[in-house]
Amino acid sequence: MPTAYPLPTNLSPATVANTASLIRIVALALISGAAIASRLFAVINFESIIHEFDPWFNYRATRVLASKGFYEFWNWFDPTAWYPLGRVVGGTLYPGLMATSGVIYNLLHAINLPVDIRNICVLLAPGFSALTAWATYMFTKEMKDASAGLLAAAFIGIVPGYISRSVAGSYDNEAIAIFLLMITFYCWIKALKQGSALFGTVAAVFYFYMVAAWGGYAFITNMIPLHALVLILMGRFSSRLYVAYSSWYAIGTLASMQVPFVGFQPVKTSEHMAALGVFGLLQIVAFAQLVRSHVSSHQFQKLLATGVISIGILGAMAFVLLTYKGWIAPWTGRFYSLWDTGYAKKYIPIIASVSEHQPTAWPSFFMDLQFLVFLFPAGVILCFRELRDEHLFVIIYAVVASYFAGVMVRLMLTLTPVVCVASAVALSTLLDTFVDPTEPEVVDDTRSESGASTISAPGTNGAAPSPTTPATTSKKAKKAAAAAAEHPTTLSDILASSSTKTAKPKGIYGLDTRIMVVLNTICMLAFFVSHCTWVTSSAYSSPSVVLASSNPDGSQHIIDDFREAYYWLRQNTPEDAVVMSWWDYGYQIAGMADRPTLVDNNTWNNTHIATVGKAMSSSEEVAYPILRKHDVSYILVIFGGLIGYSGDDINKFLWMVRIAQGVWPDEVQEPSFFTPQGEYKVDDNASPAMRNSLMYKMSYYRFVDLFGGAQAMDRVRQQQVPKVGPTLDYLDEAFTSENWIVRIYEVKKEDSLGRDLKSANAFAQGKKRKRSKPTTRRRAIL
Amino acid sequence: MVYLRSLLFLIAGFATGLNAKSSTGDSVLVIVEPKQQDNYSLFLNGLKKQGYDLTFRAPKAEAPVVIEYDDPTFAHVILLASENKVFAKDITPQSLVELLGKKTNLIIALSPKQTPLSSLAAEFSLTLPPPGTPLISYFPKREGPPSVIPVSVPATHSILSENLHPVWFSGVPHSLGNNPLLVPILRAPAESFAAETDGGSPDALVDAAERGGEGLWAGSQLGLVTGFQTLDGSRVTWVGGAAIFSDEYATKEVSKGVPSGNLQFARDVAKWTFQESNVLRIDRTTHNLVNSTKSLEQYTTNDQIVYSAYISKYDSKTSTWAPYSGIKDLQLEFTMLDPHIRTALLPVPGVPGKYSAAFRAPDRHGVFKFLINYKRKGLTSLQSSTTVAVVPPRHDGYPRFLSAAWPYYTGAISTSVAFFLFSAMWLAGDSHEKRAKGHKAE
Repeated sequence: MPTAYPLPTNLSPATVANTASLIRIVALALISGAAIASRLFAVINFESIIHEFDPWFNYRATRVLASKGFYEFWNWFDPTAWYPLGRVVGGTLYPGLMATSGVIYNLLHAINLPVDIRNICVLLAPGFSALTAWATYMFTKEMKDASAGLLAAAFIGIVPGYISRSVAGSYDNEAIAIFLLMITFYCWIKALKQGSALFGTVAAVFYFYMVAAWGGYAFITNMIPLHALVLILMGRFSSRLYVAYSSWYAIGTLASMQVPFVGFQPVKTSEHMAALGVFGLLQIVAFAQLVRSHVSSHQFQKLLATGVISIGILGAMAFVLLTYKGWIAPWTGRFYSLWDTGYAKKYIPIIASVSEHQPTAWPSFFMDLQFLVFLFPAGVILCFRELRDEHLFVIIYAVVASYFAGVMVRLMLTLTPVVCVASAVALSTLLDTFVDPTEPEVVDDTRSESGASTISAPGTNGAAPSPTTPATTSKKAKKAAAAAAEHPTTLSDILASSSTKTAKPKGIYGLDTRIMVVLNTICMLAFFVSHCTWVTSSAYSSPSVVLASSNPDGSQHIIDDFREAYYWLRQNTPEDAVVMSWWDYGYQIAGMADRPTLVDNNTWNNTHIATVGKAMSSSEEVAYPILRKHDVSYILVIFGGLIGYSGDDINKFLWMVRIAQGVWPDEVQEPSFFTPQGEYKVDDNASPAMRNSLMYKMSYYRFVDLFGGAQAMDRVRQQQVPKVGPTLDYLDEAFTSENWIVRIYEVKKEDSLGRDLKSANAFAQGKKRKRSKPTTRRRAIL
Repeated sequence: MVYLRSLLFLIAGFATGLNAKSSTGDSVLVIVEPKQQDNYSLFLNGLKKQGYDLTFRAPKAEAPVVIEYDDPTFAHVILLASENKVFAKDITPQSLVELLGKKTNLIIALSPKQTPLSSLAAEFSLTLPPPGTPLISYFPKREGPPSVIPVSVPATHSILSENLHPVWFSGVPHSLGNNPLLVPILRAPAESFAAETDGGSPDALVDAAERGGEGLWAGSQLGLVTGFQTLDGSRVTWVGGAAIFSDEYATKEVSKGVPSGNLQFARDVAKWTFQESNVLRIDRTTHNLVNSTKSLEQYTTNDQIVYSAYISKYDSKTSTWAPYSGIKDLQLEFTMLDPHIRTALLPVPGVPGKYSAAFRAPDRHGVFKFLINYKRKGLTSLQSSTTVAVVPPRHDGYPRFLSAAWPYYTGAISTSVAFFLFSAMWLAGDSHEKRAKGHKAE
């Protein structure tokens, strides 16, 4: 048996195994280190700060948990959110993330490490990304082998698609959810492989953790039943499947119902019905198997036919009836929007208005996954070649997640793990093939057909180069061929069969081919690493609370307007002053300014949000009663026109209009905010509704003065603002941040003389009162 | 000893007699032309005797300013210079409104002439006739010009003393807008009307009447002396003519042997304007659960809540606040966006000044406000808002072991028992089964 390069022969298998496992451990440790380190860009470039929007709420909730204990947290009613409705926080959130941080916090304090809760929150996501890498390693190991596992771990450790949600400071549910997703899937695969009730239970426990941590648990709730269903339909029902699924479903469902926010949803909503249905189906199938083993096949045929049909009809009817009666909630809007991307925009603008609910743009696939995009299909196809139960899982996962990732940007996150797994399988198969030193035997053309399949053998395990002697390799190869699908068949098969139709021995000849391919692969990996590092540092590490720009000389310039404004609110306003803003900033105001807000990122009450939308999009006179009714003291708007910050409120304004229109179609109309030509403009051509709207006025109030007579330019919309700026009668400018990003207005009290504020203002400015003709009020005199 | 004590009482009484009676301060600025100052001596000396600290200032004098460093210098201002067209820099309609915002009370006299003050009146929903058209009336038949009119005073009025004699009035009437903050004090006689007196053309009046859409300024709907209480609680009294305060009218007889009520009327008006009479306040409010005294920050839905308010009235005779139980129509609202509960807040018998209401919190969680919003003409408006959260029950606050849930309990217990029995039988029957299986295999 010729080899492409010499192999050491004096090594005992024990040494090889030990070394391999040592290398694995070291590699995993390094991968974890890399995963954590690459997520620290945010801390190093900026500071240890909580990012974005939702994390601010999680952080605030965690502080409550850490300071007041779990029971107080559970019963926490937040009177400052959704003023004046309040929010029953304990019952409307997934407490997993906060509980995790709380446990870590208490542990560290128990061993006298007085770590600040903020630092725990900031560093939780990087820490869990290391665990994710490990879970992915375990999962992929079940798919192929340890070498593929290591590759998958390395991929998931640094792939931008996952980093985008787990940089330091991105303290969100997804930070721990992906780890839980992978570990649950791993336990499920393990339970399925071994038919183990123990692993089924472990999967259920992690499933419970997942339910407690992220609303995306519904993905698991439907993935596992789908897998089980496909297995049943393929005739792969086995007692292993029965044991694994039943133990997972029974324990997992009961456990998940303990989360207050979930409650009875697992037995009441449509999203959870698939899991229940498959559970029922499994019982029927298992029962059928039992019956079959006891009765003759002819009788069984009859039984099966009648039984299946009647039960199927009964079940479907029961489901329809229950849905009709309202005992099972119909599908939610978020669910429909997964199938029809235009649905949300039409019926639930509040969902469509979130940027991460938009369909994914193609470039972002490459941005988030780079060369894994190409490897991913190859890995999925390789799964087909062997098609064990767990490979089916990966295939289903890949198909489902690809679809969802195309529909919603944020679901890229669920796609990323399977991309890493499949790509790792593909890449490790490629490496196995090309690193494997076995040279194909040169055989006669006539015998080549049989020879090829014997010779094309993969490496025995991931530790390359394969230390086994050629003899054992070929023996193993034979075994593999005989066992049919104990080891994955290799790329070389495909290569060989596609490149040459003539029957030649398949395999790789010579060192040069190998080196070329391996070098190529290493280059791709190197590019991947550099791409990931670049994307992480430049795109995904911005806290979005603090912005960075660069000075002309290249040095970094920090734009800290948000915190400046929030701290102004915190220090200059009464503690119970209600702040109105668009809902994006609700969590930040609550977290940083500690003031009550009308709406926040927990968008549970569409009407309340529409109320804010209406106030923002109507004229001052219309908005003022709304503001007074809700006790609003301050209004906060984000305005990017001065420095070109494009995520400002004017750009979000149409969503406010749309959401308000959904509730008050007679009072707010979207078309009236466009010019007659149908353009969205803020310059001289802006429509009257636009120019009278509170949002427009607050954004551009005194903006023209800034230019001292020169033409004022909105740098976001690249339009020239009218020379005469808007005036405000019902509001007072209270604060404008350094770069004008945040502007805060104070709502005036009613005029003490009972006039409307417009005429009061005119009087205070010394304008002559216009005598309007009042209606005659003459009454009969008694 | 007795003598000494009575002396002490005398001093004390003297002292209280000299003490200012206003609840907001005793410094008064009188803006009047120095020449006319003596015309109002009876009224002004009366104020002085009451204990007010009067400062006089000519309309064009620069000092003392009314607002210095954003602080009002005086607690009350009387503007008797009604005919002046030009005032010092710091006395403008805007600064007068600003004064009101700073809790200063004003008495403003108008005149038939067009002055800055007559344009200010429009801000208070008072519509004046065009310049040069004072109120005239030819009834009752009397000596003297028709523009000097005896006006009978309502017998019972919350501001005025009872059964006042008619008062002499000369000046300009105003029609009242529909501003709820206006407090009419003196109305014009039904036979009176505004008209040009010194040979002017009536066209201006007709034009103005048409423009205003109010018809002519005539009849008893017109106001002559009108109070105005701002939302901040400060009070203004608009007087159609400064002469109503004058010594001449105070001493002029209405009819034979009947003295005019001017002096008492002026005193009553000043009393009301300077926050001596009809002044109420909420001392404190409390809320707690029934059968408890501790005030909670948040209540649970369906709790029984007691809310109490303690209200005092200012007693100008003793310059003290005394508990006041005289309000019969006080209401309490428990509000979240809309009032969820509106109930009468009744005086508690036996506890002076305490008003209390007990009610069940709505079955709705949220941030609620206990609201008192009591606005009556002439009285200080009472406003109080206390925010509390109404929260759902705690996780262990729900009732346990409901009788209605027995089907579920039975289900759970029977399943547990059945499972236990099944396991026991399974385990006990194990060896037998195995043997049977073994037989089969063999």
